[in-house]
Amino acid sequence: MSRAYDLVHRTTYEYDEPVTDSYGRATLTPRHAPGQHVDEVELVVEPTPGDLASHTDWYGNTSTYFGVTTEHSRLVVTARSRVTVSREAPDPTTLPRRAWDDVAAALAAGDGQALGADPDAMVALHEAVLPSLHVTFAGEVREWAAPSFRPGRPLGELVVDLASRIHDELEYRTGSTTVHTTQVQLLAQRAGVCQDFAHLMLAALRLHGVPARYVSGYLETRPAPGRAKLRGADASHAWVSVWLPGLGWVDVDPTNDQLVDERYVVLGWGRDYHDVPPLRGVIFSEGSGARPHVQVDMVPVGAPRFE
Amino acid sequence: MGQTRRVTDLLSVRAASAGTPDTGSALGLLPVTPDELAHASDEGARLLAEHGVTYGTGVSGPRPWRLDPDPMVLDEAEWTGLAAGLEQRASLLDEVLRDLYGPRRLLSEGLLPPAAILSDPALLRAAHGLRLPGSRDLVLAATDLVRGPDGAWAVVDDRTQAPSGAGYAMEGRRIVAQVLASAYRQAPIQRLGPFFRALRHALHASAPPSDDEPAVVLLSPGPGSETAFDQAYLASMLGLPLVEGSDLVVREGRLWLRALDGLEPVDVVLRRVDDAWCDPLELLAGSRLGVPGLVHAVRQGSATIVNPLGAGILENPALLAALPRIARAVLGEDLGLPAAPTWWCGDDDQRRAVLDRLDRLVVLPVARSSGSAGASAAVAGWTLSDEARGELAARIEAEPWRWAAQEPWGRDLDAAHARPATTLRTFAVPEADGGYLVMAGGLARLSGRPDDDSAWRNDARDVWVLQGELDAAEAVDEPVPSRSPVRSMPPRVAENMFWLGRYAERAGQVVRALRVVADRYDDYHARPHSPGGRALAVALEGLLRDPAAPPTAPGESSGPRPSLRDLALDANVEGSVAQSVQALAASAAAVRDQLSTDTFGPISRMERALREERRVVRRTGVDAPDAPPAALTQGLRGLLDRLLESLYAIAGIAAEGLVRDDGWNLLDAGRRLERAQHLTSSLLGTLADVQPPGVETHVLESVLLAHESAITARRRYQGGPGVVGVVELLVLDPDNPRSLVAAIGQLRADLAGVARPPGVGTDQRDRLLADVADLLAELDPAAAVVPGADGRRRRLVETLESLQWRLLAVADEIERAHFVRPGPSYSMQDGWGA
Repeated sequence: MSRAYDLVHRTTYEYDEPVTDSYGRATLTPRHAPGQHVDEVELVVEPTPGDLASHTDWYGNTSTYFGVTTEHSRLVVTARSRVTVSREAPDPTTLPRRAWDDVAAALAAGDGQALGADPDAMVALHEAVLPSLHVTFAGEVREWAAPSFRPGRPLGELVVDLASRIHDELEYRTGSTTVHTTQVQLLAQRAGVCQDFAHLMLAALRLHGVPARYVSGYLETRPAPGRAKLRGADASHAWVSVWLPGLGWVDVDPTNDQLVDERYVVLGWGRDYHDVPPLRGVIFSEGSGARPHVQVDMVPVGAPRFE
Repeated sequence: MGQTRRVTDLLSVRAASAGTPDTGSALGLLPVTPDELAHASDEGARLLAEHGVTYGTGVSGPRPWRLDPDPMVLDEAEWTGLAAGLEQRASLLDEVLRDLYGPRRLLSEGLLPPAAILSDPALLRAAHGLRLPGSRDLVLAATDLVRGPDGAWAVVDDRTQAPSGAGYAMEGRRIVAQVLASAYRQAPIQRLGPFFRALRHALHASAPPSDDEPAVVLLSPGPGSETAFDQAYLASMLGLPLVEGSDLVVREGRLWLRALDGLEPVDVVLRRVDDAWCDPLELLAGSRLGVPGLVHAVRQGSATIVNPLGAGILENPALLAALPRIARAVLGEDLGLPAAPTWWCGDDDQRRAVLDRLDRLVVLPVARSSGSAGASAAVAGWTLSDEARGELAARIEAEPWRWAAQEPWGRDLDAAHARPATTLRTFAVPEADGGYLVMAGGLARLSGRPDDDSAWRNDARDVWVLQGELDAAEAVDEPVPSRSPVRSMPPRVAENMFWLGRYAERAGQVVRALRVVADRYDDYHARPHSPGGRALAVALEGLLRDPAAPPTAPGESSGPRPSLRDLALDANVEGSVAQSVQALAASAAAVRDQLSTDTFGPISRMERALREERRVVRRTGVDAPDAPPAALTQGLRGLLDRLLESLYAIAGIAAEGLVRDDGWNLLDAGRRLERAQHLTSSLLGTLADVQPPGVETHVLESVLLAHESAITARRRYQGGPGVVGVVELLVLDPDNPRSLVAAIGQLRADLAGVARPPGVGTDQRDRLLADVADLLAELDPAAAVVPGADGRRRRLVETLESLQWRLLAVADEIERAHFVRPGPSYSMQDGWGA
C-alpha cells in the first residue's frame, strides 16, 4: 500500500541586529529512494536570494545552496514537497539469518559477492564502517553494546535488539543534548534525542565492522485517539540504515523501536548528522545570530495543508 | 683564489663523484674557496634580512629564513632521469585525483584500499564531481626526495595541498647568484624562470572559458602565516594580487574581489589556504580564512581553485605504497621514481610488518590535513620509550586504517651520530601539451629529524642543475612579465597602505622630537633654572606628547612620563618609536606584494638598531635607577640618527619607487595627515603660553628643529623668527613641505584620486578638509600670537584646537569611506533535536 504526503518544513530566524548576508545550504527536499517517489518539491527563501541552486551530493542527496545578499532581520526557509511512499517494513522475524560477524569479516576481506554488493556499493559499505565526525569508537560504546553482539548472532536479530535496547534504556528528552554531545556523554546521562540514538546505534554497529549509515527524514505522527492533529508540530527525524546481505539497506528507527515503513519520508543519508543537517549557514552581522524556530508539518495528501 | 677550476672541468669532477651518497656541493666543484663561502654565508644572511625573508610564526614573530649559500649541484644526466620520473609522477597523481573525485574506480576496483582514502579527512566530499576546465586538475605538484644509501633518489612525500617553497627557491637563487656571483656566472646552470612562466600559463589554462584575460588572485591566510614571505614573493613574481578570504565575496554564483570602488570578478584562485578552510559554509564551519559560498562558485563553473579543493588527498601516505600498482594499471608503465618503502596499516600483512619494527620506522598518521580533527604529526619510532611505543602500537591496532609507516630514508639508524638527510623539494606544473614541466632545480634543506614536517625551519640550499652547454645568455633569471586585469585593491590593502604612511611619519616625528629634546637635555639638565633648562621642560612636555591622547589642561599632569630612552626603545610605551616601527613592519608585511623588497631593508635595519640598543642598555645598565643623569641619553643620539636614515630611505622609496595608484595616494595621505596632527599638537604644546624671552628663543629653536625648519628660519629671519615667524613657517608657508598648509594641500590632492565604492559619500570628509583650509586661510599670525593677560595665546590655541579635532574627524571619515570591511560572520545554528 502506498501513501502520499504533503510536507512543509519551515525554519525561521529572527535577528536582533540586521544581517547583511546569509549563505545557506539545505538538505530539506526529499531524495528519490527505494520505496519513495518525490512528486513535487519547492524551496523558498525569504528575502529572495540572489543565488539559489541545487545539486546532487556525494551520497546522492539533493542539496540546495542559497545566498541572500540584501540586508534583513528575518530569514525564512520553507521547503514544500509531495512524496509518495510505498516502502514496506520487512517482517522482523523473517530477516536474513546471516551472522553479524560473518558480514563484518566479508567486508573486511572485500568480499562483495558474499555481501550481495556490486563494486560501487562496496565503496559505500567500506565508508559505512568507519568512524565519522559524530560517530566515534569509544570503549564505553563497546561495553554498552557487548551483550547484543554475541558471536554468530544473526545480523537482522541484532539490529532489532539494538533498536529495542536504545528505546528501552535511554530516555527521549528534548533539549537534553546538543550537536556536540558524544556517545560517551549520552550513555552517561541515558537521555537524548533521535539524532543521538541514531549515532549511538551507528557507533555500536561500525565498531564491530557492520556497515551502517545515518538517515535524515520525517515520521508521520498520529494524534492520540479523539485528539486533533496539531499543525506544524511534527519534527525532523533521524534513524539508521544497515546493510543486510540479501536485502540491501534496511532502515530501522531506534527512537521508536521499529523498522521503517510507509510512514517515513527520507530526506537524505550520510555518515552522520554532519553530512545531512537540514540547514547550515553563515551570516554576516554585528549581532550574534539567533536560534531557529522550526515548524514541520507532514499530512496525508488531501488533508488541509499547513499555510 | 685558492683552487680555481675552469667551468669545463666541473662536469667531469661531478661525474667522478657521482654514485656516492653525498649530495653535490659547489665547494670543490666550483672556483670557490672555503673562505669565500664563509663570506658568502654572512653576506647571504645580511641580504635575507634586508629583503625581510622570514619563515614561521610564534610568540617571537617570524624568524629569519636561513640559507646555506653552498648550492646542491646535480649534473645533467642525473637530473634528466629525475625530472622524467617527476613528470610521470605528477601525471599519475593527476589521474588519481580526477578518479577520486569522479568515477572512484581506484576504490571500486581495489587498486587503492577504500578505507585508507575514505577515512582521510582530506577527501573533501563537497568537491565531488568538480573538475578544472584544463586537461589537468593537479596544477602545482611538489615532491620531496631523499638520497638513499646507494645514492639513488627516492620519494618520501608528495605535497599537493597548497605546496610552499617556489618563492623561497627563487629568492634563494637570487641571493646565491649575488653572493657567489663569480661561480654563478661561470657555471652552466639551468634557469628557474621557465617554471614560473609555465605556472602562469597553467593558471590561465585553469580559468573558466572566456574571451577575456582571466583575473587570477593568490589567496593567503594572511601575514601571520608561516610561509607569508613565500606567498607574497610568488604573488609579486606572477603579478597576482595577494588577497585574504575577507577580500573575496560570492554573489550571483560568482566570485568577486571587494575592491575600493566596488566588486571585480575573480576567475582563478591560487590558494595557499588549506582547502578545508576555504569555505566556512560547505567545508570547515567557523573558518575565518575562507569565503562562504566559494564551493558553490566553483560548482557553478564561474571560478576555479588551484590546486583544486580536495587535492590534499594525494598526500595520503597509503598512496605512496599503492602508486606502483596504480602506475601499471592506469599508465601501463612502471613507476620511474621509487618511493621510500611505506606501509599502510589498514592492510593486515603491512600492519604486521610495521608493528614488528616500530622502533625503526617513521609512523605517519593518515589524517594530517590541518583542518581535520585528530590530525597529528609524524613520529620517529626510535625516539619513543618502550612504553610510548607500546601505546602507539595499541592505537594502531585499534584503528589501523588511520596509520602508515615509512622507512627513514637516507638515515643510518645504527650510526652513532646520524647525519641529517638532505631533502630535495621539487615542483611540477602542467604544460599545454598535457605533460608536466619540472622546475630545473628547486630547494634543498637539511631535515633535522625525519619526522620534521615543517618545510623551511632548517637551512635551505639552492639547487643547481648543470646543463651540458654553456648558455652565455641571461645571467639572472628574468621575472615573469604579466599584467593582471584586477585594477583596484581590497580595502584591507588600502588600509594597510594608509597606516604604513602614518606609522612611518609618526616614527619620524618622534625620532626628530627625541633628538631635539635629548640634545637640550645634554646641554641643560644640570641647570634646570637657566633659560635653556626651562625651555627643556617645555619641549619635553610639548614636543613629546602623543597627538592622539586627549589634550590636558594647563598645569594638569598626564601621569608619569616615560623616559626618553623608553620613548625610543620600549614598544609597550604608547607613541614610542619602537611601537611605531613594530606597527610599520606589520603594515608592510600585510601588503608585501605592493612593495619592493628594498622597502624591507630599512625596516629590518631599524628593528636591528632597536634590538641592539636594547641589548647595550641591558648590558651597561645605563637605565638603572641609580645611573647618573648624564646616562639618561647615553647612546640615544646614535640610535636616533640610524633610525632617521632608514626612515628617509623608506620615504625615498615611497616617493620615487611606487606607482601613483590608490595605494600610493593612501600611503601619502596617511603620512600627510599624521604630519598635520603632530604639527598641530606640538605647536599647541609649545606656543600656547608665553615664555620669558630667553626661554622662548630656546623653545622656538627646538620646535623648528623638530620640524626640520631651523635652517630655513635662520636664513629667512635674521635675528630670530619670533613666534610670528615660527607660525608663518610651520603653519602658513605653502613652500615649506613641513608646514601645515602644505600637508593639508597634499592630503586633499591625495584623497581626491582615491576610488571608493558607489554610493559611499566623502562629503563629510571634504567639508572637514575645506574647513581646515579655511581656518588656515583666516589665521593672521601677528594677531593670533598676542597673549591675553594670563599669558595665553588664546586665538592661536582656538585655531589649533579647531584644527586638531577636525583632523581626528578626517581620519575617521577616511576609514569610513575607503576601508569598508565585511562585518563579523557566524555559523547559523540549526535545530538539533527539533
